[in-house]
Amino acid sequence: MTSAQEITPPMLARTLHEFEDCCDLVHRVMPGHGIDLLYFGNLISGDRLNRDLLSLIETSDQEQLDRFFRQSQFVRMTDSKELVLGILAGHAAFFYKGAAYTVDVAGDEGRSVTPSEVETTITGPHDAFTEQASVSLAMIRKRIKSPHLKVIRLSVGEVTKADVFVLYIKDIANMDYVNELKKRIADIEVDAVLDTNMLIQLIDDNAYALFPQMLTSERPDAIASKLVAGRVVGMMDGSPTAFSIPASFVEFFSSSDDYYMRWLIGSSTRILRFIALFITVIFTALYVSVTTYHYEMIPQNLILTLAESRSRVPFPPVYEALIMELTIELLREAGARLPSKIGQTIGIVGGIVIGQAAVQAGLTSNILIIAVASSTIASFVIPNYTMSASIRLIRFGLILLAGLWGNMGLAMGLAAVIIHLCGMTSFGSSYVTPLAPNQPAEWKDVFIRAPFSKLKYRPTQQRTKNRLRSQMKR
Amino acid sequence: MNVNGNGIITEKLSSFHLSVLVFMTQFGVVIFALPQMLSKTFGTNGWVMLPAYGIMVILNLLLVGAVYRLGNGRSIFAILEQAIPRVLLMPLYLFLVAVWAMLGCLVAKQYVLIFQMIAFPTTNPMLFKLVMDMLLIWLMLKGLYNISKAATLFFWFSVWMILLVFFFYGEFKFSRLTPFILKGGEGGLRDYVGIFAAFLGYELSILTFQYTDAKTKFLRSTIYGSLLTTVFYTYICFVAFGFFSFQQLNKMLYPILDLMAFIRFPFIERLENLFYGFFLFTVLLTVVMYLWSAKEACQRIVPKIKEGVLAPAIVLTAYVMAFFPETLSEVQAWLQVFSELECIIAMGLPMLLLLVLGLTRKKASGT
Repeated sequence: MTSAQEITPPMLARTLHEFEDCCDLVHRVMPGHGIDLLYFGNLISGDRLNRDLLSLIETSDQEQLDRFFRQSQFVRMTDSKELVLGILAGHAAFFYKGAAYTVDVAGDEGRSVTPSEVETTITGPHDAFTEQASVSLAMIRKRIKSPHLKVIRLSVGEVTKADVFVLYIKDIANMDYVNELKKRIADIEVDAVLDTNMLIQLIDDNAYALFPQMLTSERPDAIASKLVAGRVVGMMDGSPTAFSIPASFVEFFSSSDDYYMRWLIGSSTRILRFIALFITVIFTALYVSVTTYHYEMIPQNLILTLAESRSRVPFPPVYEALIMELTIELLREAGARLPSKIGQTIGIVGGIVIGQAAVQAGLTSNILIIAVASSTIASFVIPNYTMSASIRLIRFGLILLAGLWGNMGLAMGLAAVIIHLCGMTSFGSSYVTPLAPNQPAEWKDVFIRAPFSKLKYRPTQQRTKNRLRSQMKR
Repeated sequence: MNVNGNGIITEKLSSFHLSVLVFMTQFGVVIFALPQMLSKTFGTNGWVMLPAYGIMVILNLLLVGAVYRLGNGRSIFAILEQAIPRVLLMPLYLFLVAVWAMLGCLVAKQYVLIFQMIAFPTTNPMLFKLVMDMLLIWLMLKGLYNISKAATLFFWFSVWMILLVFFFYGEFKFSRLTPFILKGGEGGLRDYVGIFAAFLGYELSILTFQYTDAKTKFLRSTIYGSLLTTVFYTYICFVAFGFFSFQQLNKMLYPILDLMAFIRFPFIERLENLFYGFFLFTVLLTVVMYLWSAKEACQRIVPKIKEGVLAPAIVLTAYVMAFFPETLSEVQAWLQVFSELECIIAMGLPMLLLLVLGLTRKKASGT
């Protein structure tokens, strides 16, 4: 009589008790072989179970079965908690001769790999992560064929127990970041974490900050480039988004496309994005400021057009601008929530209402429409959606300040944003690097995208011991 | 890399940060009036005196550098308290707190009053100052390292304005500079000191010792920062002297504001109030450095009071004080007095510290 035999019968009973009222649990009894089998029918691959296990078991005699259960794919369980977790993770539990074994037969049903809808690129690979972490991990492994790529599994959510994976490249990533990320994930105490975007809010430095402190992406090529640059990556089962740490403000303005295009084109696109940032932040606010307080700033030949356009508008510029900005935000939100076919209708209706009717009805001026529309378009030029949303929110504050105190209000608002940015950190490193701490040598991969032969070093923010990327031939 | 308990990495000021911090503290609203002050005080081609002021600043910084070296980078308060009983130091600390807090508050008030003059004649300037003070408290509480980060960002956001000087090249005439040098000036000692006030701010670097390490290259960085101020001041004033005539300069209150009003783009013109708005960045930095210094000194008087209480208390007191000088000329008169006091601090404090360091060394070697 072994000790396992003493433990196991209660273990089967206890496991069955744990899963009481779970109609999706399958309990198969094979009396001829003395085997009890437990699994969730929806979590496993029936094919794998039948082909790899059951068909073999059914044709085996007692001696062959004993040998069969000694194979390494069978993990012997002694703790019923672990057994329960295994079954929940899509394993099949075998109870044989008083011992309990689990075998991973998890099904890989899920969404197939499709192009990313949030981060589209023109050139470069189109595949995006899926909700299945195993598929997403495979995409990274296929891109980084190195044993130095390490993957650590953690679990979050007291109830949901979702798998979270921490990825890094040994000898390139700084282990302080890896350990800090592991610690923060392990310290999360919350019932459920359902998406990466939720996870990163639970582990960031400044919970009240306006801007995202971790870069998120659905693109495996982007995430692979972060890993190679020495950043640490996190992924979560059930979410198609991965994140990388540490992040800096300017990092959100680069896209994979910049590296796939020729350097001059990539550089111009980068500059364009910073111009877009400038436009989206201050254009409407400047319109409000100038038309409310500083009419002298408008040249003579433009003032007639502007006065004519504003003459029928009954509101002060700040109300006019806020109404239009709000309408645009409503349209954007409606467009984002509606199915794409109806979404197009919203676009057309919104376009006509905003473009034509509002001006004809005398509710707003033509020039404001141009200001609001260009700053909205500019906000979508920013490749990261979370960052773009944060920046659009700032705009409202700046419009209000400009309406209150003109250029002074605008300058105060901008100063507040800068002070806020300077106080922010991402895993303890400055959020505004390479501007402060000032690293001009890194600007060539931030404000422009210099030719690859010039991008020899990894950014200092990662604090990697291995700064040199490699010797690149000219 | 030093990591504190919260996993936050604490870093020392880099060389560039310190230079920018010194530059941003020095550079301020005075530039708008500087050409007029120079032409009134020194007469024709008054701008040539600016490098001389720059040299004086460097000499003063050498004194500060000597304190840094002899004190091995210890905080000045530690050096003082090591040799002099705290009770005796209290009046000095109070004096420092008063001068620094008042200077910060007056610079801010001067800025908002000028803005009120050019754009918002009916708005109460103290309302502007209230919002500005809220920004200042926020920035102050972030600590010197983050202030220096903000200085760097503000620097990049405002330094581009120097490019605007190109607009005046077309109208610049060497004949307006006149062949005479320093003729027609009517300035006395107080006016000379008044111009030196434009350079003040560098002396606060004496409080940054414990935020630096060998990599900061303290003396070199502060000198670079002050040199940048001198170069910028000289360049702008030189162009102003060649743009306006000597007589014009004498009559203008803020020549640089008038200069900026000449800039025209096809879609926007009269940009002086927009650019003046951007000057908020440099003013914020100047003021925050004075208020932060006041807070550092005040913390020595009342060490038990938390930073989060002390900073708003100092700013609030300074805010109340700012009600007293109402007009721009009153503010300028007050500023003159406090700048003179600050000049004494700038020279006197390093000398006192050197004396203390010398004495303690002697004592140590004697025993």
